[in-house]
Amino acid sequence: MKERLKKTGLESIPKDWLWDGMTIAIGEPAPMALVRQIIVGNLKNLTVIASGYALDILIASGCVKKTISYLAAGGVGVPVAPSFRKAAESGEIEVWECEEGILTSGLEAAGKGLPFMPCRGGVGTSLPEINEDLKIFKDPFKGETLLAVPAIRPDLTLIHAAVSDAYGNVQHCQGPGWLDLFLCRAAERTIVQVESIISNEEVRANPWATTLADVDAVMCFKWGAHPLYSRGEYIQDSTFINEYFAIGTKAYKTGDKEALEKFLSTYYRNPHSHADYLEVVGLKRFLGLREY
Amino acid sequence: MQMTYSRQEMMAVFLARDLRDGEHLQVGYALPVAEAATRLAHIMHGPNMDLIFLGARMNVHNLNYIPMPEFGWDNRIVRWAESYSDRGHRFDRLKDWGKRVFFIGGLQVDRFGNTNLIGIGESFKKLEFRGPGSVGTPTLTTHVGRYYIILNKHSKRVLVENCDYTSTVGWGNGDPKAREKLGLPGGGPKYCITPLCTMDFDEENKSMRLFSLHPGVEMTEVVENTGFKVIIPNNWNYTEEPSEEELEILRSRVDKAGILRKVK
Repeated sequence: MKERLKKTGLESIPKDWLWDGMTIAIGEPAPMALVRQIIVGNLKNLTVIASGYALDILIASGCVKKTISYLAAGGVGVPVAPSFRKAAESGEIEVWECEEGILTSGLEAAGKGLPFMPCRGGVGTSLPEINEDLKIFKDPFKGETLLAVPAIRPDLTLIHAAVSDAYGNVQHCQGPGWLDLFLCRAAERTIVQVESIISNEEVRANPWATTLADVDAVMCFKWGAHPLYSRGEYIQDSTFINEYFAIGTKAYKTGDKEALEKFLSTYYRNPHSHADYLEVVGLKRFLGLREY
Repeated sequence: MQMTYSRQEMMAVFLARDLRDGEHLQVGYALPVAEAATRLAHIMHGPNMDLIFLGARMNVHNLNYIPMPEFGWDNRIVRWAESYSDRGHRFDRLKDWGKRVFFIGGLQVDRFGNTNLIGIGESFKKLEFRGPGSVGTPTLTTHVGRYYIILNKHSKRVLVENCDYTSTVGWGNGDPKAREKLGLPGGGPKYCITPLCTMDFDEENKSMRLFSLHPGVEMTEVVENTGFKVIIPNNWNYTEEPSEEELEILRSRVDKAGILRKVK
């Protein structure tokens, strides 16, 4: 019976679920409490499938060797995430250049146990030149020119959702985030962080609302997506995100990383537990995010 | 009557007039001119348009005020959505996207409307400027019925002889059949809209051709700030100025925050 229970805590994650050099995929909104654990655990040389804030924080923290990237934008007035930009320009990280159609094709191939999936988007562009894993081929039926996108198999996918029961029946509020289901289907393992753990009865009251039913672990982190949003719970903390991107941009432009390191230490490296993180951010901030 | 308006407002008005009722308009993130234009067109002459922002198909026609989202990932855009294609199905009906209209920007654009969001620099492994990435533009521009290239700046750095990298194929090498030969089903770019002018593509060689100059712009500004030779036909026009009604609606029902007036 015990194995059916998926509710667990950080201390119970088996050691062999995490290792340097693994491939980690991050859902939407990024499950920031779990992302913080990657940084606290000091994982290195990761290949990450992520975008935006979470991607930039992981790169700034020195966890990333390679990104599978279709978009690395910052916030308002920051067209390119600054730490991503710096690491990519200096060659510190490798970019597996793709785009949404290619990424979803690769994830779908992995989910279906196929070596590759054909994709038309990207034909005629530089993508197959700068990403040698994308192969141009002729389809055997009509002879059309297409891209073969190899299966993209994350070792671990991390997801944020509203609720789950103890058995890992996950219900996103108002539907799963962009790519979430693709990332889960493609991954070897999935850990989901939720805002609340609810009863199995509540899940059974509306089984159609269950969006993920075969995950490996669920953990409860209230406010766990902060500074990103959680549908039905809180809106994104734009001030916080913009502050990070301003600090990151300054580090990019001046080479002075002091403010950036301080930000990372304050919010990501130093808090021991999720509750400590919440205390550092402060209750007032969270209450404000309940107001639409 | 003398009116003042920003170049971005001029761009939005031009674009809005070119959108037809009943069309499916898909806007990606960080394109305020397209966001404003689709809303303006919806109010002015397109009650049956489908407005799709990212994955959100919105029902906004009866609103007095159709606000522009501050930023793409702000989850509050779902406020106006009837559906949201977050289940990863966003690219699952590409066969039907011939009826969609799309809008893109670019770090670089060449004369044939090929664009680059990847980066600038000789070596991909050490780019001088790393761009944000292609988002979904390669797949979208491959399939949509037509699209518009919208540039915030008209300069030689953006409008270049050759893109360092190509993330979307416009008219490829300029062959009118280039897209057909590559097997790209979509209709390709229609206009490139900049703060100085609008350009279409010559029928014979698919090279950018001046379509209209925005009022107040000198022809030399366009020529001097374009990194390739723009075709100047005999029959170019000035872009028709925004009407009082268009500006009124744009400013009071779409862009109250003045996003298009902030940019010079």
